[in-house]
Amino acid sequence: MIDFLVTPFDRPYMTRALVEALLLGALCGAVGVYVLLRRLAFLTDAITHTVFPGVVVGFLVSGRSGIVPGALVCAVAAAALFTAIAATRRVNEDATLAVLLTAFFAVGVILVSRQRSYTADLTAFLFGHVLTIDTADIVVTAVVTVLAGLVLLGLGKELLLRAFDPEWARAAGYRITALDLVSNMLIALVVVASVQAVGTVLVIAMLVVPAAAARLLSERLGVIVALAVLVGMVGAWLGLATSYEASVGHDVRLAAGATIVLVLVAFYALVTLGQAARRLVRR
Amino acid sequence: MSQPAAIVFDQASIAYGRVPALEQVHGTVRKGEIVALVGPNGAGKSTLIKALLGLVPVASGSITVLGRSPAQARRQIAYVPQADTLDPDFPVSVTQVVLMGRYRRIGWLRPPGRADRDAAAEALAAVGLAHRAADRFGTLSGGQRQRVLLARAIAAQPEALLLDEPFNGVDAVSQEALLATIRNLAAGGAAVVVSTHDLGLAQLTCDGICLLNRHQFGFGPPGDVLTPDLLRAAYGGAALELGDRGLIVARS
Repeated sequence: MIDFLVTPFDRPYMTRALVEALLLGALCGAVGVYVLLRRLAFLTDAITHTVFPGVVVGFLVSGRSGIVPGALVCAVAAAALFTAIAATRRVNEDATLAVLLTAFFAVGVILVSRQRSYTADLTAFLFGHVLTIDTADIVVTAVVTVLAGLVLLGLGKELLLRAFDPEWARAAGYRITALDLVSNMLIALVVVASVQAVGTVLVIAMLVVPAAAARLLSERLGVIVALAVLVGMVGAWLGLATSYEASVGHDVRLAAGATIVLVLVAFYALVTLGQAARRLVRR
Repeated sequence: MSQPAAIVFDQASIAYGRVPALEQVHGTVRKGEIVALVGPNGAGKSTLIKALLGLVPVASGSITVLGRSPAQARRQIAYVPQADTLDPDFPVSVTQVVLMGRYRRIGWLRPPGRADRDAAAEALAAVGLAHRAADRFGTLSGGQRQRVLLARAIAAQPEALLLDEPFNGVDAVSQEALLATIRNLAAGGAAVVVSTHDLGLAQLTCDGICLLNRHQFGFGPPGDVLTPDLLRAAYGGAALELGDRGLIVARS
């Protein structure tokens, strides 16, 4: 067991992958609880898709080092745009998000398809490449993690009030649009930080699954946040170890990012089954 | 002998865009008074409460709360929404909900302190739910949730309290607890405005009645406003005539 969990990470590239995955597990776990409380999974999904063309343009302009800046520009613009759309309260928000996310995504696909190494790069953008993460990527993720921690600690009570009772928050004089802009920007930053490691498509799982599992396990917000962070980190570790063991030990190639997601989903399924079993026993 | 005015409606009309929702509201709520907003569904009771909170603009005339515009008086006003508008699955404890009433006093970037926790515990005790402090909000009954929301408003120590249909679907114990708490607040000098369908309750417990249906039909003591003529005018077809013995409002 120790072998399984520790030995793979002797190699420098696996150590870097582990540090990145653990940071993302914690970051996504904590921010994911807010996504869950506000029911922002669809908005988060829309941000991940709108970021895609930014990633591609960044890559075309200056190679790997251009990916994060490209993603950042798109993510910030998308977060601002979606906040503005929600604030008008006139248009059908769902439909608008759907139109925007598919439009942006299509632009990204067209840009990628004009490249020669089409398939390989597309896969990397969509599903990440945690095993070739470099120190600069880890620094970006660490900065976003610290920033997210500060925002959640500093504005925790206002974000809680906004999620629980927005009308009351407005009546008390809080600017809902300003709070939403902060939280949408935060989600956008999490997406940017996750792009290199897990890609734009799998981020949504990292955000939603640990938080949803934690919500099944506890009724207390503080405990839910702590559990979501823990589940995110343990899932990241187990996923990487499993992917390594399968690839190196058994010659079955498992993509690292997707394996992390599957470990998280398996944990969620176990918790759901456990709860169903407990209800049956109680009856 | 009469207390100073807390809320003054001066020929106030409220519109959503160009569509008028409520017209010509005129009257005064004094400190220490409880005034009921009554009228059929869609009469504009909730609209008037939203206008008092500064959430919808006054189209003509004016509303003055504690000498200022509603938006400027927000820190002195506390609002009690209907409990069933809130998600019962939300993972928040009763104490956390009551503490929300303190957020504006606490200010940005700071967690609730000792004094805030004490104020929240006191407010919760005032509505008789101190023993449920640690429970999740959604596990309480509808009436108890309504009392928690009243406790949240009390924790803000407001000078004016606005309640939107607080007695809807509430059990007798909770109704009694809500009424007792509201009376205590008024006795302490707060101005209270409560919208309700329950004409009997309004007559028994309120100092004033504002009878609405798209515009104002009366504003004054219950004996002056809850008369067959005015009720007939405001409720129209929902009023049931009982020959010469008077009239009841069969549905609202």
